[in-house]
Amino acid sequence: MECPRCDSENTRTMVKSPVGDVWEVYVCEDCWYSWRSTETPVVIEKFKLTPAIIATLGVIPPIPPLDL
Amino acid sequence: MAKVYKDLREFLATLEEEGQLVRIKEEVNPEPDIGAAGRAASSMPNGPAVLFENITGYKGSVVTNVHGSWQNHALMMGMPKDTPTKEQFEELNARWDKYPVPPNVVSREEAPCKENVITENINLFEVLPLYRINEQDGGFFISKASVISGDPEALDDFGRQNVGTYRIQVKDKDRIGIQALPMHDLAVQLEKAERKNEPLPVAIALGNSPLVTFMASTPVGYSQNEYEFVGALQDGVPTDIVPADTAPHLMVPAGAEVVLEGYIIPRVRVVEGPFGEFPGSYSGSRLQCEIQITRITHRTDPIFENLYLGMPWTEIDYLMALNTSVPLYKQIKESFPEVVAVNAMYTHGIGVIISTKCRYGGYGKGVAMRLLSTPHGMPYSKIVIVVDEFVDPFNLEQVMWALTTRVLPHKDVTMIENAPGMPLDPSSNPAGMTTKLIIDATTPVAPEPNPRAVELLKDPVGTAKYTEVIKGLMQAMGDK
Ligand SMILES: [Zn+2]
Repeated sequence: MECPRCDSENTRTMVKSPVGDVWEVYVCEDCWYSWRSTETPVVIEKFKLTPAIIATLGVIPPIPPLDL
Repeated sequence: MAKVYKDLREFLATLEEEGQLVRIKEEVNPEPDIGAAGRAASSMPNGPAVLFENITGYKGSVVTNVHGSWQNHALMMGMPKDTPTKEQFEELNARWDKYPVPPNVVSREEAPCKENVITENINLFEVLPLYRINEQDGGFFISKASVISGDPEALDDFGRQNVGTYRIQVKDKDRIGIQALPMHDLAVQLEKAERKNEPLPVAIALGNSPLVTFMASTPVGYSQNEYEFVGALQDGVPTDIVPADTAPHLMVPAGAEVVLEGYIIPRVRVVEGPFGEFPGSYSGSRLQCEIQITRITHRTDPIFENLYLGMPWTEIDYLMALNTSVPLYKQIKESFPEVVAVNAMYTHGIGVIISTKCRYGGYGKGVAMRLLSTPHGMPYSKIVIVVDEFVDPFNLEQVMWALTTRVLPHKDVTMIENAPGMPLDPSSNPAGMTTKLIIDATTPVAPEPNPRAVELLKDPVGTAKYTEVIKGLMQAMGDK
């Protein structure tokens, strides 16, 4: 199953519906996008991710140096 | 004594009695129904809370738009639901001065939030009917959580314990992402823990009494405790709190529907977002902190309270309206007692209207500059309009009257370039730099000349009487 945001195949089922067997939630382990089987996710171009983009995303908050 | 709610359920009962809560009993899909209902309800002039009782695939219920109208806001304060905004502002100001009112620490047995405990196979979806709020959100977000954290260097310092609202993205059954912006208290505490490579314990309380949620989203000083403010805003009635199980130095609201306990994983940042944010646009993906959930306590049949946010106005605008206005008012009133009211409810205080009496010429402009140098006003406020003391800054028709009849643009409009701005304001460029705009719409006083002084119209004698007469007649017609 391909991630709708970063096209990675590194995806899995996160959870099944607690009541009945009516939906599943999937998650991408590369970009952590998640979606429900009852949705038809369309990630717009502006929000698509690639490993290169992920590597340059801002870090909030910055990680401080370790106290020695 | 104003009506005070012990927990969310008591407040929902009052909202329902007052016709300010509707129940949707039919089965609905998590997407897009819950987000759509939050959008719809907050767009209505007296939008109700919306309680979904049956959501496909889930056990529990969801309530949204609990704070999403002036009627609900007034009821939160224990005031009649038709109380005008300015009166709610004044009441809030009066109660603010009762700070601090120490909270009441109850035992574990007395705390409804401890009725059920989950420590194994934690699955957030079993407890919370999670859903996507806006279409391009990167996942399912918890948008109305009160996050409790302590200062690692002063665990027992109750004042420095923080209760704040942070956006939360569900990353897994037992892991969530959280946004701690550098200017937020949580980031200050996290930095101390991360320098030592230690986890930072947190507790996340969902579904709280309405003034707890209100205070969690109020900007107060680092050493001021939010629970002591809740007691003040509850007109002197202390709020009930109880120690968290895994981190007893953290105090959680005793009546919370759900409490998630865990810790921020130190020195790790993972993709979070996008998320539709309060300025009406998405904030994109960033690498942000994650929390490992190790314990959930919850009331029996918990209600998941969450809010819709999108193109203003939405519930979050009601929630952040007067709690942004009051601290700004308190700060400028201290220097200039002539200030009557501050309306800072446009996009979290980016737009502000100040009503003041002017002691001498140029006073209005000076008051605006004071607001722009307050801790919140400096980074956030961009457009400041100053009106006379008899203009209600919460009544935009009156404000427009002041702008159209009091402003001579070449002398009353001032711009201050290259000033601090709010990074989420997409017009700031670069992000965080802006131009401040002051519009002085007050009537000139000496030594500023007022060559065309006018006589203002007054309401005819009997106007107040006829207001009541007409109201009565309309009521009678409505009753038929
Ligand atoms: Zn992905």
